[in-house]
Amino acid sequence: MKQSGGGIPTPGLVIVDPPRSGENNMAIDEALLRNANSDWPIVLRVYQWERPTLSIGHFQRIEDRETIPNLSDLPWVRRKTGGGAIVHDHELTYSILIPKRDDQPTKGHNELLYRAIHCAVADSLRALGWNARFSEACKNKTPCTMKTINGKNQEPFLCFLRRTPIDLVVGDDKILGSAQRRSAAGLLQHGSFLLRRSQSALELSGLLDASKGSSAEPTNREFDGWIDFLVASLMQGVSQLYPTHWYNGSLDDLFGDVKEKDVTSI
Amino acid sequence: MSITPEQLRYCESHEWAYVADESSGIATIGISAFAVAELTDLVFMALPKMGQTVTAGSEFGEVESVKAVSPLYSPVSGTVVEVHSALVDKLDSLNVDPYDEGWIIKVKMSDPLELNRLLNWDAYQKQCSH
Repeated sequence: MKQSGGGIPTPGLVIVDPPRSGENNMAIDEALLRNANSDWPIVLRVYQWERPTLSIGHFQRIEDRETIPNLSDLPWVRRKTGGGAIVHDHELTYSILIPKRDDQPTKGHNELLYRAIHCAVADSLRALGWNARFSEACKNKTPCTMKTINGKNQEPFLCFLRRTPIDLVVGDDKILGSAQRRSAAGLLQHGSFLLRRSQSALELSGLLDASKGSSAEPTNREFDGWIDFLVASLMQGVSQLYPTHWYNGSLDDLFGDVKEKDVTSI
Repeated sequence: MSITPEQLRYCESHEWAYVADESSGIATIGISAFAVAELTDLVFMALPKMGQTVTAGSEFGEVESVKAVSPLYSPVSGTVVEVHSALVDKLDSLNVDPYDEGWIIKVKMSDPLELNRLLNWDAYQKQCSH
């Protein structure tokens, strides 16, 4: 994949955030896109959720969760990005903000970013011995994405039951899905890296479930190393498109003295 | 109505405006073939209501393609006088004909001179080629 620019690298801020409520997590990402400007760095935020939460895509109907057992009991929040609903339980969530800059061409980069991120995570997983590949190379067609019929979206409610050609699968299971929101100020990409099956979505297997060849019992601590893995992979993916000088920080680097609880109202 | 892309005025954000009859002060608004191609498969569109006020450069709707949500920006300011509601159920038509069948809203302009700030076909083509 070609890099878009040469010369001076773009600054890139890495934020590994503590677990937050669904409302706070989504409000922070909304604030990132709403306040983005050409002076901002690229932002890579990796986070978890205080408790299992359902996030639904921007255009999804919350009533449709009734079609899936166990989802009705979960707190839910609406994302600004598209795509299907995600059970944020034993998974890691990321958001990437690419502010629009005059000196940085972005035409056609929307899908390229999606592909670059998934490609980087796939490469990293393969280096660890996992058989990770794009969905387009996966011969299993069920469950799969259904096309829009007569203007009505017929896709499964849950993101991880849908397939686009560049979703990342291990075995027959999708383990990484992403979605975007574009604006005049920039591009926000969300993604979910599924590590373990959730009791709220038993039909979805995560990367570390026994069916993938790992016999380890699930523990919370096992996710710690995967945060570093995901951050490194995402940095690599972004850098494929935008030569980036990465540094670690927090939301304070963007919102200054604004109290954390007020970030969401900026 | 038969609209050709050369007749239109464009936003940098790929929406177009067309005024069939200057005395009416009504602009028809849509998105360009280039935008449709960039967005790829469209699955949802959210449109404004009749009577809603829109402002040049501000969002008047949203469209979801594959898994990306993108805003629709109005090229002109004014009041929405017609909404192509049927388009929501046949978004595929935008791939075939984004200029006639794919029109999105009609706006009674409050300041027709705003049209002069938009790109003509040649300038828009140049932008898309960058």
